[in-house]
Amino acid sequence: MLGKNADWKIHALSFVLTMIAEFIGTQKFDLGFMAFSLFPMLYVLILGMALGVAKVIPEDMQNDASPYITISVMMLTAKVGATIGPNLSSIMQCGPALILQEFGNLGTAVLALPFAVFVFKMGRAAVGCSHSISRETSIAIVGSKYGLSSDEGVGVMGGYIVGTVLGTLFYGILCSLLCSTGLFSPQALAMACGTGSASMMSASLGAVVEAYPTMAEELQALAASSQLLSSVDGLYMTLFIALPMTEWMYKMFTKNNKNYKDGQPIKKNA
Amino acid sequence: MNASVWAKRIKCLVLVSIFAVIGNWISTTKSGAPVDIMAGLPGMAMILGITIIGCAITDVLDKVLPKNLPAIAYISLVAIVVTIPGFPGAEFAYASMNKIGLLPLCTPILAYAGISLGKDFGTFKSQGLPIVCVALLTFVGTYVGSAVIAEVVLRATGAI
Repeated sequence: MLGKNADWKIHALSFVLTMIAEFIGTQKFDLGFMAFSLFPMLYVLILGMALGVAKVIPEDMQNDASPYITISVMMLTAKVGATIGPNLSSIMQCGPALILQEFGNLGTAVLALPFAVFVFKMGRAAVGCSHSISRETSIAIVGSKYGLSSDEGVGVMGGYIVGTVLGTLFYGILCSLLCSTGLFSPQALAMACGTGSASMMSASLGAVVEAYPTMAEELQALAASSQLLSSVDGLYMTLFIALPMTEWMYKMFTKNNKNYKDGQPIKKNA
Repeated sequence: MNASVWAKRIKCLVLVSIFAVIGNWISTTKSGAPVDIMAGLPGMAMILGITIIGCAITDVLDKVLPKNLPAIAYISLVAIVVTIPGFPGAEFAYASMNKIGLLPLCTPILAYAGISLGKDFGTFKSQGLPIVCVALLTFVGTYVGSAVIAEVVLRATGAI
């Protein structure tokens, strides 16, 4: 523990970092073959980490800052909740396909966790990274459940950074590929676009509409409804289904696994 | 209820609210629709109030229930209830809280995360490539998962 006034230093530093980041503001990059935006919340992460690695922030101050994440991250769920209330009634107007496809969002862990454990031999960062597409709501949930400087927290924040930088590009390519396979109807592809991230939805919907331009209006409406549903159910789906399911799968995968002991990967030549 | 836990909690929440409302002002000014500090204050105060109420509910239920839900479940529930159309003042509550952007609210919160992250740099470095691959796989998983279910249900119900 630091001295009596040490926590004021942490709050003051948080304020300074926030101001620097907001003054830099959102920066859009267009490199021709890919376009992405960087947000202030990404700068504070990187700035803070750089200061920590450079030892400008002493390690005990880093440790003392951790509980403030768990406390402040709760406010995010209040904000997210306030966007759910007004949209609650529109769920009733959605058809069965739209509602049921929401459970497809659990495909995150089903596909990604086996790779994380059996191919990459990841530790518990795998749980944070694979249970969802690591957007703001997931940061809030993982942050309040495990803390963001836990392994799970590192996983979800890593996923957040990947999604921010590569998400739109990746979805543009993925959806173009899926459209060209002809395996799915355009309606199903449009519904799948609502994953809970606005920028990723725009990118994937863009690709689907490009493949089926005559149906643009119907496809946009389906994607928007699905996006709305994801924003309504996302928080509870992640908290009560996706995260416990991922936890359970991780336990199953690492039990009797020669590369793991007590749920942690065995480090080579350690 | 533990007084020192609450003191630390409220101090942190109030400070983050102040940081966020200033950050929100800068951010909205940059995007061309400024929400100044006075305009952002009611919504921010509501977010703060809902968070504290949610925490209080959690604390009370902790004493009576053997197994409790995490605070964020109650906080989000309170936020949903007060913004459901028909709840007294729901429209004002929604309009006020809507003035505070999700991203400007994230910034001060993730600043604490940034401050604490230096010590975890090693984990980031060693897990970097796996995290990139796993994150991209989650994008495939959620999309294909939803598309498969939508396709099956659409065909089963004869919609296409």
